[in-house]
This record gives sequence, C-alpha cells and structure tokens, in this order.
Amino acid sequence: MSTPEIIQIRKVSKRYRVKSETLRVLDGLNLAVRQGEFLSIVGASGCGKSTLLRLLVGLERDYEGEIVVKGAPVTGTSLDRGLVFQEHRLFPWLTVEQNVAVALENSSLSPREKRQSVKEHIELVGLGAFAAAYPHQLSGGMAQRAAIARGLANRPSILLLDEPFGALDALTRTRLQNELQQIWQKEKVTMILVTHDVEEAVYLGDRVVVMEPRPGRIRKSFSVDVPHPRDRRDPVLKSINDDVRSEILGADAN
Amino acid sequence: MSALEQAPGVRIRRGLVAPLALLILWELVARFQLANVHIVVPPWRVVQTALVHVADGSIFVDLAASLQRDLEGLVLGALVGVIAGALLGASRLVDRLVGPTFHAAKQVAVFAWIPLMSVWFGTGELAKVVFIALSAFYPVALNTEEGVRSIAREHLEVAKAFRLSRWSTVRTVLLPAAAPSIFAGLRLGLVYSWLGTIGAEYLLAPGRGIGNVMIAGRQRVAMDEVFLGIIVVGLVGFTLDTLAGRLEARALRWRPRST
Amino acid sequence: MVQMESPYKLPISSTAKPERLASRLLSRALRASLGLALPVVLLVVWSLACTHEWVPPQLLPAPDMVRDTFIDEVRSGDLWANVRISLERVIVGFAAGSAAGVALGAAMGLSRRLEDYVYPLFNVLSQVPVLAWVPLAMLFFGIGESLKFVFIAFAALLPVAVNTLRGFRGVPKTYMDVGATFQFTRRQYLGRVVLPAAVPAIFVGLRTGLTQAWLSLVTVELLASSEGLGFLVVWGRQLFQLDLVLVAIFAVGIVGLVLDKGLAIVESRFLRWKPAASRSSTGSAQ
Repeated sequence: MSTPEIIQIRKVSKRYRVKSETLRVLDGLNLAVRQGEFLSIVGASGCGKSTLLRLLVGLERDYEGEIVVKGAPVTGTSLDRGLVFQEHRLFPWLTVEQNVAVALENSSLSPREKRQSVKEHIELVGLGAFAAAYPHQLSGGMAQRAAIARGLANRPSILLLDEPFGALDALTRTRLQNELQQIWQKEKVTMILVTHDVEEAVYLGDRVVVMEPRPGRIRKSFSVDVPHPRDRRDPVLKSINDDVRSEILGADAN
Repeated sequence: MSALEQAPGVRIRRGLVAPLALLILWELVARFQLANVHIVVPPWRVVQTALVHVADGSIFVDLAASLQRDLEGLVLGALVGVIAGALLGASRLVDRLVGPTFHAAKQVAVFAWIPLMSVWFGTGELAKVVFIALSAFYPVALNTEEGVRSIAREHLEVAKAFRLSRWSTVRTVLLPAAAPSIFAGLRLGLVYSWLGTIGAEYLLAPGRGIGNVMIAGRQRVAMDEVFLGIIVVGLVGFTLDTLAGRLEARALRWRPRST
Repeated sequence: MVQMESPYKLPISSTAKPERLASRLLSRALRASLGLALPVVLLVVWSLACTHEWVPPQLLPAPDMVRDTFIDEVRSGDLWANVRISLERVIVGFAAGSAAGVALGAAMGLSRRLEDYVYPLFNVLSQVPVLAWVPLAMLFFGIGESLKFVFIAFAALLPVAVNTLRGFRGVPKTYMDVGATFQFTRRQYLGRVVLPAAVPAIFVGLRTGLTQAWLSLVTVELLASSEGLGFLVVWGRQLFQLDLVLVAIFAVGIVGLVLDKGLAIVESRFLRWKPAASRSSTGSAQ
C-alpha cells in the first residue's frame, strides 16, 4: 500500500553570498514526500529548514537541483501550496473573515463558493464566533488558528508550516498541536511541519527528518509508525523522541 | 525596481539633477528677463551680496544677534519646560490641576501671542526672548511629561526593593529612564526656538538679526538679501540640529539601536 | 520636589466593580472640578488685578470687558466673518497641499528612481523652516490670497509627503510574502497590502500637516492681511484694544482645536483596526 509521491526534492542546494564568502545553506538535499503524509522536519537553527520550506512554496526561486510537485517543477508560488508562518502575519487592517478571504483573491471559485470556503475553514479552526474580530483583538493562539484557516482556504494539496507554534506559550502550543492533528486527519492534506520542538515533530509526524546545519543536509530520517489519534504518553513516541534528540545532539557535536 | 542594486554613485548623481536644473532655470529666467526683472535676481548676485556682507562683517553681527536670542530663549523655555513636564508626569495631582489648562493653552498657534507680548513686553529684546522661550517650552514640556510618566513601574519597584533614597532614585533611575524623551523634547525645542527667533524678528521688527535682514530685503525688493537670509537660516537650523543629534547620541549611548 | 505618589490618586482597580454608579460619577465630577480649579483661580486673580489696578488697564483688560467684547463680536457677526475667512483659507490650502503631498509621497514610495531624483531636494528644502520663505513668497506673490494659499499648501505638503513616503517604504516584507503565496498581482500588492499598511503613517503626516497649515495661516495673517483671525489680533493690538486681542487669541485656539479633533475623528474611522493605544494622540506640539 504505497501512496504516490507528491513531492520530489532532488540534489537541491542553495547558496548565499555574504561579502566575499559563500554560505551553503542547503547542500545536495534529497527528499520525497508521499501524498497525505505528515512530515516533520527538525533541526537546530541555521540548518536551513525554513529555507527549504520557502523553496518548496516558491517564495525563493534561486537554487540548484530539482523540486517537483505533482509531476511539475516548482517555478513560483501556487494556490495549491499553502504556507503558515511563525508570526501569524494576518493583515491587521482586515477582520479574521477578510483575512481568510485574502487567500481566495485569485482563486477561480465563484463568489458564493468563496464565501462558503471562508465560513467552513473559520469553523474548522473554531473561530466561528470571532469572524468579525480584528487581529489585535485575538490572542496569539487564535491568530495562529486564523492563519491556518487562511492556509487551508484554497484546499491546497500541500500545507507547509514554518514553526507555526514557536511564538506561543506551552499550553496553547499543546492545544493547537492536537487541533492540527485533527484537522490533518479530517482534511487529508499533505502537511510538512518545520519545528525545533522534537516532541511536537514526533507527536504529529508520520516521518521525522533530522537536518544538520553548515551546510544544511538531511542527517537521518525516522519513521513514526504509531496510529492516529496518538497519546503523548505512548512509550513508543518517547523512545523515538530520545532517538531523535540524540541524533540532533550528535549533529551539534560535529 | 532593481534600483536597489544601483551603485550609490548613481543615486547621488540623480539627486543632484533637480537642484542643478533649478539653478539653471533660475539663471535663465534672470538673464532673459522672463519674469519681473526687479524681483528675480541672478544667482551670482546672491553670492556677491553674501560676500559683501561677510566682508563688512554685518552678517556676523546679525547672526550673532539671532543666535544670542535663540540661546537665551531656549535655555529659559527648556528649563521651565523640563520642570513643568516633570511635575506633570510625576504627580497625578499636578496633572489633574494644571493639565487641562496646560493642554488648552497649547492649542493656540504660538505666533498669535506675539501682538499681546508686544504690548506687555515692548518690542525689544525681552519680548523676543520671552516669545522664543514660549516656542521652546511646549515641545520640551510635552516630551518630558511623557518621558517621566511612562517610566516603567518595574524600574521604580526595583529602586524601592533596594531601598534607594529619593535622590538616588531620581539620579539613577528616573533621569536616565526619562532621558530619551527629554532629549527628544530638547531637540524639538531647538527647532522650534530657531523658528520662533525668526518669527520674532519678523513681527517685533526693530533690531538686528537674520530675520530682520530678510524683512528689510523684502521691503527694499532686494531678492538677493532675502535669499541670503533663507540660506543662512537653513544652514544654521541644519547645523544646530546635527549638533544636537550628536550630543543626544553621546548622552544616550546605552540605548539599544531601534530599527 | 517631585512627588511619587499623590494623595489624590483615585483607585482604578480593573477587577473590582465600582460599588455604585453614583460613586463612579462622583469621582469623575471630582476629577473635572480639579481641572477647573486652576482656571477659576486665575480668573479670580485676574479680576482682582483689574479692580485693584495692580496693572494699568491698558495692559490688562478686565475679564467682564473681554466677555462683553466676545459677545459683541459674535452678535455683530464680525468674529464669524473672520473665522470663516481663516477657515476657508486653511481648508483649501491644506486640501491642495496634502493632496499633492500624498501624491508625491506615494510616487516616491513606489519608484526608487523618482525618490532618488526628488527626495534630496526635498530634504534640503525642509531644512529651511517654512517661516523663512515668507519674505521671498511675499516678493513673488504680494500680500494677497495667492500668498496665503501657496504658503499654507507648502506648509502642509512637506510633512505629508515625507510621512507618506515613509509609510509606503515601511511596509513590512512579511506582508509582501503573504501576498506572494496567494499569487498577488502588482495591483493587488498595491491595493491590498501597501496602501492599507501605509495609511497610519499617512495620517500622521496629515495631522502634522494640518497643524503646520494652521500655524502658517495665522502667521501669514499676522504679517500681511486685512481680514481673518490673525488680522483681528493685529487690528486689536493696533487699536490698543487688548480685549479684542484676547478674544481673537481664544478663537485661534478653539478653531485649531476643532480642526485637529475633526481630523482625529476621521483618522479613527480609518484606523478602526488599530488597538487604541497605538493611534497618534494629537498633532505635533505646535
């Protein structure tokens, strides 16, 4: 029962020129992602994981190698690939509803379908009562939920999340992780989560990829064969946690 | 929009285009008498007039007179302003008593007070200095008030926890915490007092000063004098502000750079 | 001596409910009456100074004389006529100057090229205080309406353009990224991201510009006018009627206040989305 690969990353490298030195942020990365999978990418800061995400979503186009999504190479952004940033980046001058609707500006849906999608996704993240609120009136967790709704409004095949819960307190983070897992199970969207929180990566992911910095490379990949919904206290998860952690520390030691 | 990658040289060259074009236009208008010949004076004449004034020292006398007033007024206004602002910011009682009147009086465009002052203080130096002090007073007082008021309660609590004396608290906590705002107020006060100096010289006419040079030039329809005045006023304003900025940077060295 | 705590610090507990509406109203009334204390005291001192002639009556007209003059001026329509003239001038000049300022600032904000050409000159010109241009402007425009118009428009244009430019340039790149993920066209970037993000800065410019415009108007009317509030001040001075001068000064203050508050109301409608604390409170000091 092997599901098709939806993303293929082949020998991807990215270099930055700083003054006269060349910084290799990503070096010869190879990665494949299966449809409907939840992939977690962990690593310390500077390992290039955010850069990889930006390349995947199409915000940066200057790289070597191949990035192929659904059989076509990535040449720019697409409504089929959503992105949730670490800072919610909601437009402060728009309400929650209007912010989610921004995602559908360039979609080919009819106005009624757009309204429907906005309503559905706001309900999906539990913000139905706050549709007319402005971002400054929302808590950090609520704002991030709105950002997730915005990321899913186009019903993309792939949702990328760049340390989405990093700026939130631990309790809110846990709650949102649970909610994200539920949303993923319900919507069956391929999700790629970048985080520095090992527990989060293992709890949410089908697969955990550990990256190491300087230059950014994939160090090891771990499979998490635990059925959903998961229990955080599961000893299997704990042992995978430990393995991943020691892998990262090993990367540090180098 | 790749102008971002333009070499700085290109950007500087572009910046010079407009002023040069204006200068050339000015020269052409004067030479070919395209506008009122009595008014439009060729650029080089301004330079000549400037040299004359420098040679006979009159420009320095005028400049010194203006700067002296400016300084006297600024010191007076800033002193009163810092004290008033500090009181307003620190004491709820003072703020409730004096605040409304203070903010109400602020609404009056400051130059409107001049005719009244000319009756109370005459048209001599006193009236001018008082007016310049008033011009500097409000920016300094407002910024000081805000600076003192917004001193984080946390800092005061630390002082209390370490049982610092009143004076010690003022010296090591209050003043440095309020200093950025006070300095911002002083810089504004500097700008406004220079503005007030020129205005006072216009409206309380007899005397020497750059403002007087400009008014006299206008009355004699001598555009070269007027323009000379404009250049001097601009240069002095710019220099004063730059100096103040340097002083501020030195005094506030401990501040983290804000974006 | 700087007081740290005031015995009159009224308790503002956010968690405890005020016992009764009455006590809340009472504390508010107390606060208001404190604010009136000083003006009342000043008024009393003023009256005493006049009745006891501590100051010659030419220098300090009695309060009731000022009040009577005020009533006369209002009744005769003279005050309103002058207010109206000043208001017309400032509104027309401000409208023209700020429209030009926004256009210029936006143009510079959108085109680095244009900014390179125009901004340096702008910068140099703004080093010269607006007031310094008056004698030169008088040479070219005389002392008629065109002088006032040009001057007020110019006074408004500078801060509006500079702040508008700053607003356009200060759009956080993070918002642009969001637009990129949704395939925004250049037009969408401008209309949905850049412009809304620049609005707060534009309003800062507008409020400063209005304050500057009003200030410049009054100054020009003091120097060269036969009508308007500034003229009224000078006229009263020349006739040695300080009561008239005071009435006119009072009017200058009121009109300035109304203008600023009016713009503040417009601003708050546009900036409904901003948390109240971060909106600009008043225009610049003067």
